[in-house]
Order: sequence, then C-alpha cells, then structure tokens
Amino acid sequence: MAPSQASHVPSLDNLIKSFNSQSLEASIESLIFLLKRRQVKGDECAKATAHILRQVVAKSKWRDVDELLSRVQSVGSRLVRSAPLEPVIGNVVRRVLGLIRDEANEDRNADDIGSEAASDIQSLTPSTTPQPPRPRPTPIRPSPSVLSSGLTVSKSMFNLLSVKAPSESPVTGASTPLSQAQPASVHALRSEVMDGIEEILDEINQADDQIAGFSDIQIHPGDYVLAYQPSRTVERFLVKAASKRRFTVIIASLESPSPGSSELSYAALRKKLNAAGVNTINLASNGLMAYIPRVNKVIFSAKAVYQNGGLLVDSGSCVAAQAAREYLKPVIVLCPVYKFCPEDPSDEVSRGELGSPGSYVSYANGSAVDALDVENTVTDYIPPDLVDVYLTNL
Amino acid sequence: MSKQGKGGGAAGKAKKPAKAGADEKGEDVLQAVILADSFQDKFKPFTLETPRCLLPLVNVPVIEYTLEFLASNGVQEVFIYCGAHSENIERYIHESTRWSPASAISPFSSLEFIRVSDAHSIGDFLRDLDKRGIITGDFVLVHGDLVSNIQLDAALAKHRARREANRDACMTVVLRSVGDQPHRAAKARGITPVFVVDPATGRCLQYEEMHPLQSEHYLDLDPAVFSHGEFEIRTDLVDCGIDICTPDVLALWSESFDYELPRKNFLHGVLKDWELNGKLLYAEILDEGYAARASNLQMYDCISRDVLERWTLPFVPDSNLIHGQTYKRVKGGNYVEDHALAERGAKVTRSVVGRGTTIKAGSVISGSSIGRRCKIGKDVRIENSHIWDDAVIGDGASVVHSVLAGSVVVGAHCRIPEGSLISYNVHIDSGIQMPSKPPARISVLTDDGQLAPTDTSLVGPGGTGALYEVAADEEESDDEDGANRDPAILQSSLIYSLEGLNISTSSISTLASEQDDYDTDNDNISLAGSVQAGDYFGSHARDRLSSFASDESASKPDGDFHNDAVNGLVDALRADDSTDFDSAKLEFMGLRLANNASDSAMRRAIAVAFVRRAAELMRPEHGGLELTKAVAEALTSKHGAVKFIKEVGVGGDGVAQQAEFALAVQRALLGELKELEVGRAGALLAALLQQLYNRDVLEEEGILAWWADKRVGEGEKMDALREKCRVLVEWLENADEEESSEEEEEDNEHDEDE
Repeated sequence: MAPSQASHVPSLDNLIKSFNSQSLEASIESLIFLLKRRQVKGDECAKATAHILRQVVAKSKWRDVDELLSRVQSVGSRLVRSAPLEPVIGNVVRRVLGLIRDEANEDRNADDIGSEAASDIQSLTPSTTPQPPRPRPTPIRPSPSVLSSGLTVSKSMFNLLSVKAPSESPVTGASTPLSQAQPASVHALRSEVMDGIEEILDEINQADDQIAGFSDIQIHPGDYVLAYQPSRTVERFLVKAASKRRFTVIIASLESPSPGSSELSYAALRKKLNAAGVNTINLASNGLMAYIPRVNKVIFSAKAVYQNGGLLVDSGSCVAAQAAREYLKPVIVLCPVYKFCPEDPSDEVSRGELGSPGSYVSYANGSAVDALDVENTVTDYIPPDLVDVYLTNL
Repeated sequence: MSKQGKGGGAAGKAKKPAKAGADEKGEDVLQAVILADSFQDKFKPFTLETPRCLLPLVNVPVIEYTLEFLASNGVQEVFIYCGAHSENIERYIHESTRWSPASAISPFSSLEFIRVSDAHSIGDFLRDLDKRGIITGDFVLVHGDLVSNIQLDAALAKHRARREANRDACMTVVLRSVGDQPHRAAKARGITPVFVVDPATGRCLQYEEMHPLQSEHYLDLDPAVFSHGEFEIRTDLVDCGIDICTPDVLALWSESFDYELPRKNFLHGVLKDWELNGKLLYAEILDEGYAARASNLQMYDCISRDVLERWTLPFVPDSNLIHGQTYKRVKGGNYVEDHALAERGAKVTRSVVGRGTTIKAGSVISGSSIGRRCKIGKDVRIENSHIWDDAVIGDGASVVHSVLAGSVVVGAHCRIPEGSLISYNVHIDSGIQMPSKPPARISVLTDDGQLAPTDTSLVGPGGTGALYEVAADEEESDDEDGANRDPAILQSSLIYSLEGLNISTSSISTLASEQDDYDTDNDNISLAGSVQAGDYFGSHARDRLSSFASDESASKPDGDFHNDAVNGLVDALRADDSTDFDSAKLEFMGLRLANNASDSAMRRAIAVAFVRRAAELMRPEHGGLELTKAVAEALTSKHGAVKFIKEVGVGGDGVAQQAEFALAVQRALLGELKELEVGRAGALLAALLQQLYNRDVLEEEGILAWWADKRVGEGEKMDALREKCRVLVEWLENADEEESSEEEEEDNEHDEDE
C-alpha cells in the first residue's frame, strides 16, 4: 500500500494518525478490517500489529499483568484470525506477550526485594523505568503474604502463557489490597511495556537496513544475482551492495498483464542500481530457467520462516528456488528475526493463498472466464531443503 | 478512515459548520448515499418477505458487500434510503455489530436511514435528498445491491480536479469495461447501456439503452455529438450504478420532477439537455477491479460465481468479513465454515457450506452455495444452486441451478429442475417432480403478501406452497419503472438465460402489449415518438416520421410539452377560485406554440388531463364522486372546457379527428391504470365517451370510427377497455332505443363501480 494521495482511502498511515481521535476498540476493528480487506499486508502487518498492541497497552484498562496479558492475547488472536496467512502478526503478538512477562517478572523480582527492604525498591524502580512516573512508594504496600500468594501462581511464565483460570482466583482474592497497590506498578509496567514495543517497532523498521549491512559479505564483485520479485528488503540489500560492489542483477518478475504499481517500483530499483553502476537485466519468470546457469546466487525475501525452516514466500519464488537447486546455485533468503515463526506450516499455508484470477485472465475476456477455473496462488511454500542461506538482522 | 467511532463522529460534527463555509474544499468527509430500494420486483417471490439487499449472496446479505465497499473507500457518512421492507433493513443494520450507528467500531462516523413515505421511484428519493440539504460536498451514490472491490480514489481525485476546473462538471459515472467478448455479467444484464464518450476527457456525450427485445435496432446520435470531434460509442461497459456526484446533481433531479431512473431518465435527459443546463457529466472507465449489481436473478447467479472464483477479492468467503463467520478454504475449491459436516463419501466441489450444515454420504454438490444449518440427505445432487439457511433436502433429491430460500423443505427423491425459484418456508413432498418448462416459482405467499392456498398437485399432499404468479395487472401497478418493462421480462421471468424467449412468439406478443403501456405510462416520451406503425393522417405524417427518425431525441421537447400541458390543464381543472377555463386555454396554446407541438401531442395532452381529473375525482380524498358525476364534474365544472376539448382536443369536425381523440382518451386511461383497475377504467372510458357525445364533442360517426379502428383493440388491456364500451356503441348503433339503453348503460356502470 503506497501512501495514498487521497486521504479517504483507509490505510495503515491513516489508521495510526487516527489512534488519538478514536476509541481503542474502533482502532482494533479498523485494523482487523484493513487486514481482511488486504489493505494492510505483507511487511506492514508487523508494524501495524506492534502499533495496535501499543495502543492496547496504553489505552485499555488493566489492573495487573494477567489482565494485560489476556487483553493482548485476545486482541492478538483476533488479528491473527483476520489474516491467517500473515504469520508475522502472530510473531509480533508473541513478542509483545513475552515482553510483558519479562517486564512483569522483573517488577516482581523487584517487589520481592521491596517486600524485604522497602528502601531498595525506591532506588530500584526508577532505575528500571526510563522515566520514573511518580513511583508511589510503599505506604500502602500489601503484606508480603498476600503478595506472595498472588505471585506463586503468576510468577511462572508458563502459567501466564496458557492457564488463566488458576491465576484468577488468587488475584480476585487479593484484589482489595492489590488494587490499592497497583497504580504504581501498573503505571511503571505500562510505560516499560510501551517502551519495549517501541523497541520492537524500531527493530522492525531497522531490520531491512541491518540485513543490508551484510550485503557486501554475500555479494561478490562480478556476481550475477537473481532477485526474484524483489521486495523492499531485497531492494535495500541490493542497493547497499551496489555501493560497494560491481555486479549484475537479474530482476525476475511475473509477467503480469497489467503492470501498474509493481512495474513502477522495479523501475525505481533499476534506476538506483544503474546509478550505482550495477547492470540490471529484466526477466519474465518464464524465462528464468534460461538464465539460471549464468546466475551465481538467487536472492528473495520471505514472508515468514517456519520452525522447520520452510518459507512462506510470494508466489513464483518457489520456481526460482527449485531452478537454483537444479543448477546447484545458492539460494539466499532475507528474513528479519521477527518473521521467524515458532510453528509448523498449516495446510492453508502449503496450499497457498488464492488471489484474484484477474492477473491471469482478463475479466473482459468473457469466454475464458466462463471456460476456465483459474486458481491464482499468491503465496508459495518453500520446503527447507531448497534454501541454503538464511540472512537475518542479528 | 481518519475519523471514526464516537470521537470521530464528534470531531466530524464540530467541523461541519466551518466546512460549509469552505464548501468547495469540503473534502474531509466523504458521504455516500445507498439506494436500498430499486422499485422493481425482479427478485419476487423472495422479496415478498425480505428486501433485495438482505438476500444472501454466497451466504452474506448483499448490503454487506455494499457497505464494505464504501468502508474500503473511506466513506464516512452514509445515508440509506429504504423503500419496501425498510423496517427489516433498519433492524438488520441496528443489530449488526459492525454497522450499527450506535456501535463504536463502525467505520462510518454516521449512518442514517431516511424514510420517504410516498416515494415511487429513485427520482423521488433523490429529490427528497435535495430538500434535506444534508449533502455537503461530493458524495458517492450507489445501489444497495452493489458488489465491488473498486478503489474509487483515482476516480474521486479526477472528479475533484474536473470540478475545480469547471463548476459544471457535476457527476462522474464509474464504469467497468468488459471487452468485446462479454463476460456473463454483461450478458445477464438485459439492457445494454450505450455510452457515447469523448475518449480524451472522458466526458459523456450521450446515453442510450438497448435491449434485445426492442423493435428498433438503431441508435440515433444527437447531431451535437459530432461537434465534439472525436468520440467513442461504447456498449462494452458494465454500469454498476456507482456515481460520484456533487450536490448540483440533486438540484438537477429536483428540476426535473418526472425523472425516475438514474440512467434512463436522468443521465439520458441531462445529457440531452446539455445546452439548457450546461452540466458536464463524465464517465470513468476502469479496466480492473470488479463491480456488478445484483440487480436481477441472473446477475445474482453470476456474482455468486464470481465470488466463488475470487474475482471480487477481498470480498470472498474466507475473508470472513461478516462478524461471526469462520469460512476456510479447503480442498476442492470449497469454502467451509466451522462445524459444517460432510460425511465421508459426500463429494463437494467449488462450493460454500455454512456452519451447522450436514451433508450425508453419497451426495454430490458442485458450484453451489449452501447456507447455515441445512440438512442434506443421502445421494443428493446439487449443481450451481443457491440454498439459503435452514433448508432441508431429502435423500436422493436433485437440485439443478435453482434458488432455494430459507427453511425450504424438499422431500426425498424430488427433482428441482433448472431455473426453479422456491421461496421461504415452502415444503415439497417426497417424490415430486417440478415442472421444468416454464421453471416453477413457488411461494407460500401470493403477490400481495397473503398466504397462498397450497397447491397439492404441485407440491404434493404433504407440502405447502403454490405456484407464484404475477397477475398481469398487478405487475402493472407494482412496476414503477415502466421504462424498464420490456427488458424486465428478460430479467425476471427468464431466470437464467436469454435463450428461448428471443425467438418465441409469446415474447413478441408480450412486447407488443408492453409497448403500448410504455407509450402512455412514460410521460416524457411522446406518443408520436413511438406510435405503432398504424395508419396516421396526412397532416401528422411529417412529425410522426421525424419522431421516428430521431427516436427519443426529437420527441423530448414533446415530452416536456406533454408534461407541462397536462399539469397546466389539470391544475386549471382543479382550481377552486375560478370557473373560467379561458386562461388555461390561453396558456395551453402558448405552450403549444412555444414547443411547436403536433396535433397528436396536444390531443394526447388534453385527453390525459381530463382523464386524470376524472379519475382523481373518483378517489375518496377528492370527494369520491361516482363515475358519471365525476366525468360530468371534470368536463363541465369550468366554463369553456367542453368547447376547448371540441376545438383544440378534437380539432375539427372530421370523423377521423374524433376517432383519434377517442383513441387518445383510451390510451390516457391506460396510463391511469396504476390507480384504476381495468374494469373501472373501462367504465370511465365509456362514461367519458358518452358524455362527450351528449355534449356534441364527439359524434356518432366519430365513436363508431374509433370502435372500428384496429388500434383500439391492440393489446390485452386496450381490448379490455374497449370491451367496456361495447354497450355504448351498441346503443349508438340503435340510436332509437336511446332511453332504455342509456339506463342500461348507467346500471352497468354502477355494477362496475361496486
């Protein structure tokens, strides 16, 4: 989604701008529908998820960690369900959940110390929070016994992860003293978590550049690099490499009947590469095999990397990977860490997402529309054995 | 979507006053108007119970697609005009978690329903909208049955640029080109819109409509078109009724009080009168994206297939756009919701299956959409059909290319052949074979919403439901857009294909009778313009020919004349304060000169005016006079009215002129059939003729000549009207039995009245 000239069209940018003016629930719902309508997709999903979770942490009312966790979980699972083929969303949600648990753990550790020595907490809390927002100290601290009863259950991360029921009873039991105690820690936790999410966002934003930093190691002078449907990540990578090396880029793309925006963006890439003195060759994907023998390496970016090492990619990349394997050319996959999923590919993933048949058959061609059953998969699954190098941002 | 929810709503409202000042720049809020009633009955019998926009299309009510389309284009304020079943639509929206105006998550900052009690056409809606003054800037006008994934931002930007360059560029029609090998969507539409467009600027120069049943296969270009230089005539466009309008468009609607349809009347008329109104209309022709209206059953079928084939992406089942839907794409090109159960051995391909539906072993289902909680027995065959929620289909039944509405029960081993429409709650007993020619339309309700007596020969002894028949008269009075009538036959009675009707003789005869109504119903098309190829009189031959030659173009002034003249005369007849008709006569003659109206046009106008007045007097709100008194009142309440009819209406002593006038009266009555039933109209005709005879306007020879004229009996209704005058004519023929016959005549009329 390019930034739209017309302000009407809903987009991620518009959504982020509108965070302040609308309720949290409305923001979540609009994001869900942006995802459902594919108006936010691909790399934007990660960013969008982080942004919306930041709003959840900031705006929703929660009294303790468990409540925050369940809030984030429920919003997260709604987002994941709305775009089942964007696993990145789930990754970011998991990251945020982990972050909250970590912060909570730190706090509790601090609380433990605090319960033993109240003076310590006063010095400790400000140090953990970047900007100490009135860390109301201990006058109304709950008694250690109540606190620990609340803690014994929720201290363990794994309990937080899945089992909510047992953690509820002690919390409700301890609600009166806790609720008085909460403001300080809640406030601190809130700002800590929000800072953490901010860091995740930074990481997402910087990932491409970080990966591009490795380009000169991977691309050697005189290389012929096949970039299959270069994404923004691949573009950065190539442009960065072009500043140091002389090589040739073969840009392969699907031959689409209506070039439109994708064609334009490749044009920009070609311009940049040529300006840096790198030759580019354009290739329709059906001419791929002819060029593979000349190629030194194949580069593309993944939408997600699964636990088994398999990749979710834009359609067509699989053909490139297979061709490269046939000729024993290395396949380099660029994938920032936030795209690594701790799960196995589902059935849906291996079948691929279906797009509109419009990219292969023109709607205007009535007889073809009637006669053909066009399945246009827009994503591919690449099994792990076709990939040689995973290049991440760490 | 920059402002949403409650906060957004408040912000939007706070902005409004300021924005009204800077109206030209008022682009912060995009408004949209949904016309949720089409004043058509192409979806009957289903629309007897449910409005068209709530019919499920691939298990999603059609209006969801429309609303989602608007939301995806960042529309913020929505106004919905409902007609029939408005309470259903309102309830649906208010109960929807996503669209309810009270909901915080609605993507629209406001959503309002507007009810118009006396609307009879889309034109009435838009004129009402103009009066309300709620439209502040550019708005998108769509129909409530639109399915589209088009992104309007480019079209909107162009529209704005044009409007800023020239204030008169007031409307952009968004069209989708479908090429010269038309897609089924283009085939299914019945009417082919013909746009004459300037390819350089996109300006629309002329608009016409063609359909396969019309007698004239020619299109007449306005000579003015040629002065624009290059132009294209395009018939390869699907017109999905998306208009981007400025408020000026509403003003145009208000100016022309007789426009009913946005295309046939409004677009055609505004382009035609370009030199008068100076407004420029543009067409934005898109080559990508999907847009279609579920405007008839064929389109409904076609869009369903397109949705399954994912042309409408992202509006496909597995996007689960409706709250609570959980469709997933599974093997075989199916979309299946959670808790839908297909037994091992059931074969389902390219279909949608809703939650809670069970399909037993041995059933074969392809290309169909099946709603929630349906029960499908063993060895059932379902092909390309639409089965809505809660239907039950017994073992061994077969359903081919049909629509089965909600809660239909089909017994075991039934056969439902292609094209059948089975409406809500119909039960069909086991082993019944539905007729295939013509395909059955079965409903438990009759056309007027009453419970129909069960036809056991059709649905079996244990069934409920009867053949749904649209009585010809009913259709007349219900069908508001008479202009659409001819192609409407294609779209409603023929459910899925155009074949058959084109060549069958029955269709031709239907055409002929419809053609008649067309003339008289549609006030803005002159009689002369579409007179049947009957013999006319020398003096009229010229203008008849010219009207033919230029079809509607040349007849347009006549249309204006007709409307103005009729309204002027009726007003004069109604006027309480004066008893003099001279001024009306003067005005009429002035109009005639100004428009250079032909004799036939005048005759027609006068006939229509008096008939209308007489019919009006018979209605309870105007005194409910009885027939003869009403006629007498209409004719004699004003001095000089009779003389006026004699001198201007008949226009001479010739027998031929008198016969023509009588014919004009008869046709005028045909036009009033909306208000009167045939029998009463016939009686009114007889009374009118008789009183005109008594007042020496018409002579015996004139009436007899009219009686003998073969045009008088053309078409079913004309004939019905004529029959009512048989007594009068017989009485004229036996003039010596005057007294007794007259009484008889009177009696007859009273009988009719009762």
